[in-house]
Parts: sequence; structure tokens; C-alpha cells
Amino acid sequence: MLFVLPALAIYCLFVVYPLATSLWGSFFEWKGLRMRGFVGLDNFARLFVDPSWPKLSGAFAHNVFWFAGIMVLQNGLGLVFAYLLFLRGRGTAFLQSAFFFPAVLSPVIVGALWRLLLTPDGVVEALLHKLGLLDGRLTILGDSTWALWVLIAVDAWNWMGLPVLIFTAGLRQIQPEVFEAARLDGAGAGRVLWSIALPQLIPSISSLTTLTFINTFNQFDLVYVMQGVQGNPNFSTDTLVTYFYRLAFGAEGAVGITDIGLALALGTLLFLLLTIVTIALLRFFERRTVRLT
Amino acid sequence: MTNLDIAYHVKRLPGWVVLALWMLVVALPLYILVVSCFKSTAEIYGDKFGLPTSWTLDNFVNAWTKAQFARYMVNSFAVTGGAVVLTLVVSAMAAFPLSRYQLGWSSPVLAFFLAGVMLPIRLASVELFTLMKSLDLLDSRLGLVFVYSAIRIPFAVFILANFMRVLPRELEEAARLDGAGEGRILVSIILPTIRPAIAIVAIFTAIAVWNDFFFPLIFIFDDDYKTVPLAITTFIGQFRTDWGMVFASLAISMMPVLVMYLLLARQIREGVGATGGLK
Repeated sequence: MLFVLPALAIYCLFVVYPLATSLWGSFFEWKGLRMRGFVGLDNFARLFVDPSWPKLSGAFAHNVFWFAGIMVLQNGLGLVFAYLLFLRGRGTAFLQSAFFFPAVLSPVIVGALWRLLLTPDGVVEALLHKLGLLDGRLTILGDSTWALWVLIAVDAWNWMGLPVLIFTAGLRQIQPEVFEAARLDGAGAGRVLWSIALPQLIPSISSLTTLTFINTFNQFDLVYVMQGVQGNPNFSTDTLVTYFYRLAFGAEGAVGITDIGLALALGTLLFLLLTIVTIALLRFFERRTVRLT
Repeated sequence: MTNLDIAYHVKRLPGWVVLALWMLVVALPLYILVVSCFKSTAEIYGDKFGLPTSWTLDNFVNAWTKAQFARYMVNSFAVTGGAVVLTLVVSAMAAFPLSRYQLGWSSPVLAFFLAGVMLPIRLASVELFTLMKSLDLLDSRLGLVFVYSAIRIPFAVFILANFMRVLPRELEEAARLDGAGEGRILVSIILPTIRPAIAIVAIFTAIAVWNDFFFPLIFIFDDDYKTVPLAITTFIGQFRTDWGMVFASLAISMMPVLVMYLLLARQIREGVGATGGLK
């Protein structure tokens, strides 16, 4: 028992305790960092009216788009890449390693690099000029319709190696005879992937979907580095965690006043959302897992 | 080559093209990063894709001395090293009894740790800030070490306990008969046999801590204690016209991870596979 204590103590003090008091604190009124009286659900109610509601709904929508974008762009493409590698076999280890490399880099480095590449008069602009796809300045990061999707693409670039690794590992666990039989029946590669491999990849899909959900709803670094903590332009790349950060650490509004009560209420909601959806996703996929007996 | 062979290879060509294209998408930005480090800022604006006309190390020198990148590197190394060691030591100690003894309380305690793998700890940052302030751990590398260890302990305990559980019981029984203490058994018998698990935990902890930026952003205000990612975010605003130096500082800050990746790519690939991509 003695052996467990140090780990338990550090974990409880710096993770469990702050999380518990944060949840509890969302039911109180705050003046700066001082807790005042119990106000029940007041903070939560304030989240859903002006001036918070436009920010909250916007950030939530961006997180949902981010999740959908990553599912298609990163995990969908990742599945295709993994399947191509699986079919070929040759060069798998090398390409896996190369594709995974950006994932060991800090999102800060990735964001800073892409910010430099994507600036007006930057490399991407020059490349698009050469290919004749664009003339004039590249202002995509300053464009409120496109900026969010650029960030999502950069995020997919960052983490593409993850679905590739997880899907190739998953594909290797499928019995080779299954593929053999399908091929003898005359199924093409695409059809084999869709109707033979995919149902058996549900454990991989499950863990990727859950991870993608957790990561996108915690998204902060890329936005901060590439678009600033306000989610520029005009909050079009704002996420729930950047909004939370501004409320908690005083970058929300012109004067930069913190609103701890509102921040903690948002934190509590986000905590509930993450927990409930994560459990629901795991349950959902658990029921759909194909078991070969 | 028969006609059939050729047909086979032609059929596979589109797939290779797709893979090669993504390889290009991964490599091109990194190539630009590397060549830009050795160019003057004027040349970065002028010739974006070519190799530098005259290779210069000025950008690195400037980043290292003028922007005082050296101290950020020292801070990052200290925090990462401290967090890896502390996480490994306390997690190995905890995983040992939790996985090796038949105790009534070990599965609830393990579950309690496991819950922490997915906890969104960023949402607790307000209370964590208050706590750090009252413990006098703001603006402190030690404070970061504690926070990172606390965050990484669940994953570490989980992985180490999983590896320890499957070791044969006879392994420690002989030593116990010889009168070895529990600490002795852990250090000289259990730990050497689960080296791959220790490597996985050390690698993933090191990467996560080295790359993190959220907690330094909240807890570190003094320039003397900033870590590399936090310094980069200030750099990119502060030196926005000196592109050469920004590129060089990005390159320097990814060096340690790159070296580790070149040495350990296989372990990292297998680790991601084995842990289902838990970060």
C-alpha cells in the first residue's frame, strides 16, 4: 500500500482535486478568483443568453465541424493510406514512420510552420501561383469562411500518421483467408475494403473516433498559435477551450475581465459532454463489434 | 516480365501515386523549413523553393544568442526530464502492488487511475492555478514537473501494471525466499524484465511533456522559466519579420524529438499500435 501512495497523492492533488473543485465551483458566484455565495445554476443560465450565447454556440459549432472534418479528412484518408500500404506490404514501415513524424511534433511547431507557409507572400501562395490556381494574395487565414477549414486541414496533416498506424495494425489482425475468399469471389479492392475489412475494423474505428472526439473538443493549441486566442478572424475559428481560456484567464471582451463563474460552468458542461459522449461512443461500437467465433 | 506481371504492376500504380503524393505533402513543408533556416530573410522572400545560394548559420546563431533560445531549451529539458523520471518512479512503485498482489482494493484503485487517462484536465486549470499559487509553484519548473507527472501517471500505471500482471509468479518467489525486500524485488527483478513497457512510458511521456504548451502558458510568466513551445508563440509575434530566425528556432526545437524519432521510430510505431493511440 505504501508503494501506491506517492503516485496516488500526486494524481489526487494535481488532477482529481482541482477537477472536483472546478465542478463544485461552477455553482457559486465568483469575484475574480474569490468564491462567493452559492448561486445554483445561475452561471449555467448565463452561458445561454447574450453576451455568451453567440460565442458558445459558435465555438460549439466549430468543434462539431472540426470533429466531422477530422473524421473524413484524417481518419478517412488514413484508412485509404493504411489499406494501400496493407495491400502492398513493401515499404510499409518506412512510409508509416514518415507519415507519423508530424505527430511527434508539438502542435505549436506545426501551427507556427503552417502559419509561415500560409501567410500572404508565403510558400503556399507561391506554389499556387506557379500551378496557376490563384492570382493575387493568399488571404485564406484571414477569411472567416475558410480559416476554420484550413486549421482542420493542418490538424489532419499533423495527426495523419495515427489512423494509418492504427488501421494497418487492425488490418493485419484480420485472418488472411477472409481476404483470399473475397478475392476468389471476384471482389475488387474497394469492395473488399468496404464490405469485408471495414466491419472487422470496428475496434480501430472505435478508438479513433473516441480519440478524435476527445482531441477535437480539447482543441486549443493550433487556434492559439495560428489565429490567436480570440479565434480570428471575428471568432470564426473560436473553440470551446479557447472560449474557456478567455473566460478563465481574462482575454474575453475588450477590457479582458475574467468571469470565473462562467468559465467553470462552461468547464462543467464540457466535462459532462466529453464523459457522456465518450462512454456512448464506446458502447455504440462495442455493440457493433463483429466477433468471429 | 510477362504481360500478366505488367498488368499487375500497372494496376498497383495509382495506389503508389496516392501514397507518394501524401509523402510529398508531409515532406515539402519540412523541406521548406530546413532550407529556410540556412537562408537570409531576403532570400526566403525571394527564392522560396530552391536551396540557399550561400548557406548561412546566422539564423541559428541569432536564435541561440539574440533570442536566448538556449535557456528555453534548458527549461524544456529540465521539465521533461524531471517529469519522465518522477512519473516512471512513482508509477512503477504503484503498478507493482496493484498488479502483483491479490488485494481487494487493487482493482478499484486501478480503475481510479485509469479514469484519469481521459480526464480533460485543462478544464480544471482555474482551480489548478489557485492551487499552484498557494503552493508557491507558479513560475516554477518544479511546478510543471508535478502537473505533468500527475497527468501522465494514469497512463503510466495502466501500461506498467498490464506488463507486470503477466510475469510468472516464480520470478519473485525465489528472491522473496532469499529474504529480498519488496523494493529490492521491484528494482532488480520486475523492472529489468519489463524494459519495453518502461521505454513506451518514457517515450510517450517525454513527447507529451516536451510538446505541451497549455500549462506553461498558464503557469509561467517569467521569461527565465519559459519552455520552448511557449517561447515559440511569443517569438512568432515578436520576430515576425525575421523569418530566418523563426524558422531556425522551429528547427532547433524539433531537433530533440527528431533525434529520438530516428532512433526509436519502430518502438514508437509499435507503442502506438499496442496502446491504441492513447496519448
